[in-house]
Amino acid sequence: MEEKKKVRQLNPLKFRAAIFDNMLSEDVGYSNYSYWRSTLRTFFKNKAVLALVVLIVLIILMGFIYPIVSSEDPNKASLLPLTWNQRPSWEHWFGTDTLGRDIWTRAWYGVRNSFLLAFCIALSDVGIGMIVGAIWGYNKKLDPIMIEIYNVITNVPSTVYLVLLAYIMNTSYLTLFISMASRGWIVEARFFRNRILSIRDSEYNVASRCLGTPMRRIATKNIIPQIISLIIMEAALCIPYSIGNEVFLGFVGVGLPVEAITLGNIVNQGRASFTLHPYQMLLPTIILCIITVAFYVIGNKFADASDPRNHI
Amino acid sequence: MENNGHTGPLIFSAKDVEIKFNLRGRTLTAVRGASLDLYQGETLAIVGESGCGKSVFTKSFIGMLDKNGSITGGQIIYRDQELTKFSTEKEWLTVRGKKIAMVFQDPMTSLNPVRTVGEQIAEVITWHFGTAHAKAKEEAIELLRRVGIQDAEARYKQYPHQFSGGMRQRVVIATAIACRPEILICDEPTTALDVTVQAQILELIRQLQRELKMTVIYITHDLGVVANVADWVAVMYAGQIVEYGTVREIFRGAAHPYTRALLHSMPQLGVKGHDLYSIKGTPPSLYKEIRGDAFAPRNPEAMEIDFEEEPPMFKVSDTHWAKTWLLHPYAKEYREQLESRTRQQHESRKPTPPFNYDCAEKLLQVKDLTVKFKIGSKEFKAVDNVSFDIYRGETLSLVGESGSGKTTIGRAIMRIYNKVDGSIIFKGEPITGKLPRGEAKRLRLEMQMIFQDPMASLNDRAKVDYIISEGLYNYHLFDNEADRLRKVEEIMGEVGLSSEFSSRFPHEFSGGQRQRIGIARSLIMDPDFVVADEPISALDVSIRAQVINLLNKLKRERNLTYLFIAHDLSVVRFISDRIAVINKGRLVELAGCDELFSHPLHPYTKALLSAVPYPDPDVERGKKLLTYDPSIHDYSVDKPSWSEICPGHFILGNQRELDGYLREIESCS
Repeated sequence: MEEKKKVRQLNPLKFRAAIFDNMLSEDVGYSNYSYWRSTLRTFFKNKAVLALVVLIVLIILMGFIYPIVSSEDPNKASLLPLTWNQRPSWEHWFGTDTLGRDIWTRAWYGVRNSFLLAFCIALSDVGIGMIVGAIWGYNKKLDPIMIEIYNVITNVPSTVYLVLLAYIMNTSYLTLFISMASRGWIVEARFFRNRILSIRDSEYNVASRCLGTPMRRIATKNIIPQIISLIIMEAALCIPYSIGNEVFLGFVGVGLPVEAITLGNIVNQGRASFTLHPYQMLLPTIILCIITVAFYVIGNKFADASDPRNHI
Repeated sequence: MENNGHTGPLIFSAKDVEIKFNLRGRTLTAVRGASLDLYQGETLAIVGESGCGKSVFTKSFIGMLDKNGSITGGQIIYRDQELTKFSTEKEWLTVRGKKIAMVFQDPMTSLNPVRTVGEQIAEVITWHFGTAHAKAKEEAIELLRRVGIQDAEARYKQYPHQFSGGMRQRVVIATAIACRPEILICDEPTTALDVTVQAQILELIRQLQRELKMTVIYITHDLGVVANVADWVAVMYAGQIVEYGTVREIFRGAAHPYTRALLHSMPQLGVKGHDLYSIKGTPPSLYKEIRGDAFAPRNPEAMEIDFEEEPPMFKVSDTHWAKTWLLHPYAKEYREQLESRTRQQHESRKPTPPFNYDCAEKLLQVKDLTVKFKIGSKEFKAVDNVSFDIYRGETLSLVGESGSGKTTIGRAIMRIYNKVDGSIIFKGEPITGKLPRGEAKRLRLEMQMIFQDPMASLNDRAKVDYIISEGLYNYHLFDNEADRLRKVEEIMGEVGLSSEFSSRFPHEFSGGQRQRIGIARSLIMDPDFVVADEPISALDVSIRAQVINLLNKLKRERNLTYLFIAHDLSVVRFISDRIAVINKGRLVELAGCDELFSHPLHPYTKALLSAVPYPDPDVERGKKLLTYDPSIHDYSVDKPSWSEICPGHFILGNQRELDGYLREIESCS
């Protein structure tokens, strides 16, 4: 702690009162942190995630655009055995199946249908789950009943339940939707109930109540913005799960009727002739893998990125 | 360097230490060339607002910086060892814990909740010295006894959650001194504790220091604590030590404007009815390069040179150094000018007359209020039979330690807890239990609450504009959008925030600014009565003054009535007209502010008053600490009652005690 030598000559005139700027003193503590900006930055910092997002967007876009622009009929079966089970060629990029239908075309129709189905299921699971979860979280009296419902639904093995329901009803998109959506919501409801319970009595909600804010506004302004990232994440994780279930139901034989073009059906048809023509399973399986893996990774990474603790 | 008034030999020296952090891709210089010397057996306190780099600086002494931080310059020398050269954990462990130990603010973070406290202490001993288990256990029990834990053998086998906060801190101290370190760094060791416990812990550290001949560094923002414990004080601002001297020199003749500002903003030193001195703004962002004196933008008396050149360390006396241009010979004239101005200001201040209760009207009456909570199947009374009145226009303070039920009373009045026994009467009408919808809604307009934690009480996903106008939306208190904006702008001006801030999110603000947003949000409803639930306890000293001044100003201008809830008696004295002291859910004493401070009667009030640190080293060292032992009350036969012992002075006691208190009053007057 020694007195430093003065390097430069000082101007004595500078030793007088300066003008005090109130704004200058207030502004120094300003930080320009933004929750969504930080979330997205953390999310896209991982290049693999960025690649997966691009890939998944391309696949889904392709699934929706291809059926519109292409003139190829995915159900056009041929009676000429020569066109059956063709190997990949310029005409049929991924070959044809046992009825001479173009696999490339069918795969994109499959992506569209499977994705739409999965999307509807995710929407209903997360949507119903969130509403039920919110009501559950706010009413302690519901706890015993809801926990029983949760236990009953989750303790019945999902495969048995799905197979049973699909067996009772006629196979159709609606059946599949009902059988999956009728049990998925409770898991989501419990998840959201836990989250809402933890923020329900936080101080800013108490403050809002003191200001006389009605429940509706507390929900839309205080609670939903807090859990929106969770909603997105849950929806993203729901999609691969639903697609997987659809494929599984096709596999056990209670899936959609054969004329429905979904990834599950295409994979199953490919599987039937796998020993002789393995290439038939190639494209649909690859797409299926990419979709499921990508959604899982994206959902999980998004959950990490949306956690403010990771925003360093 | 000669010894400069130090008693022991120099054992530790940090020179021009610079520490940088990488945060979100930017570089933050947390410590900008700070130097510090430690001498054996002495106590040094490092003072400064939060975000000044105090913790980071001392953590670097034992290699405990976070992963994204590193020492980028300077030297740290401990007994001929250059600590900055250490690169591996193994090297650091020869010093950390063994020679230099640290005690943190929150005892729960330093203890492992799933292992018994004894094991944790014994482990430290075995680990550093290789002592056999049985021997280590013996030593651990001895250590527990030494830090004042009774029945140490039984306590050895208990888990941290079975200890109270103060006891846990004692255990942490036992762990820290297990290896007989030469230097003990206490990072805000008592901030999370109640004042009475704080006083005991400080006493314990002092006693251990004497026995073990340790050098102790305190990091604190509480100048009262500093006055109590320190021999030497280093004031830190924006990553630099700006002033260094003995405790008396700092408290009596501070040279740096920042030190002076810190001292002046203590509510203990304020004059009732006048504004407290407050430091404007917040400490600078350390991301940017700082030019000149870092404190200059917040210093209304800064000189032009302060904005241009960084001042060197000037020597005030052999033991006192300060880094400010005010000490330069050129600034002599300006300095004298400033000094005479401050003296004039001090002399012109006369306290305002006390609140007149003769013609006061009762605004709120609380009668036999009892609030019970259920924990599992057990029922527990958080508030037990509490009665008091609040008059229109006064500030009644409710003071008590954590868990005493003071916040519960505030929340019961605000109808956040609806199931209460007893009655609360507001403007002549009972407000407990179920009320008609319209009635309950109307009450919200007249009663508002200010919350403790400015970080938790603002919805951080909503813009300031929405947060402030939330109440306006709920009650449609505006004619059109332009009217609403005008109202928001008006109230923001009133709490001293620029109206440009309204499009920002709460996390962009500092604690004090956020608390002002919270105040604006409640006051835009234009209430008559405000419950302020510890509005300043989460804030820094300098910012406390801003908020206290604001609350006082608003009270004058809007004729508000406050119920001010606090745990710190010193703050309360400055702002309140009457004070109620609460202990374990029961009010023990209620009296006018001056009356309570000059003639406290209840033993709990006396203990609480004696434990409050006062920012004056001579007062602090001379005082005697009283402890409150609830077992002195014998309420087995004669039940205590809440009675008015003399006009305006209420106390809890049974007949025998009341007689004693009466005698005490008579002997005083």
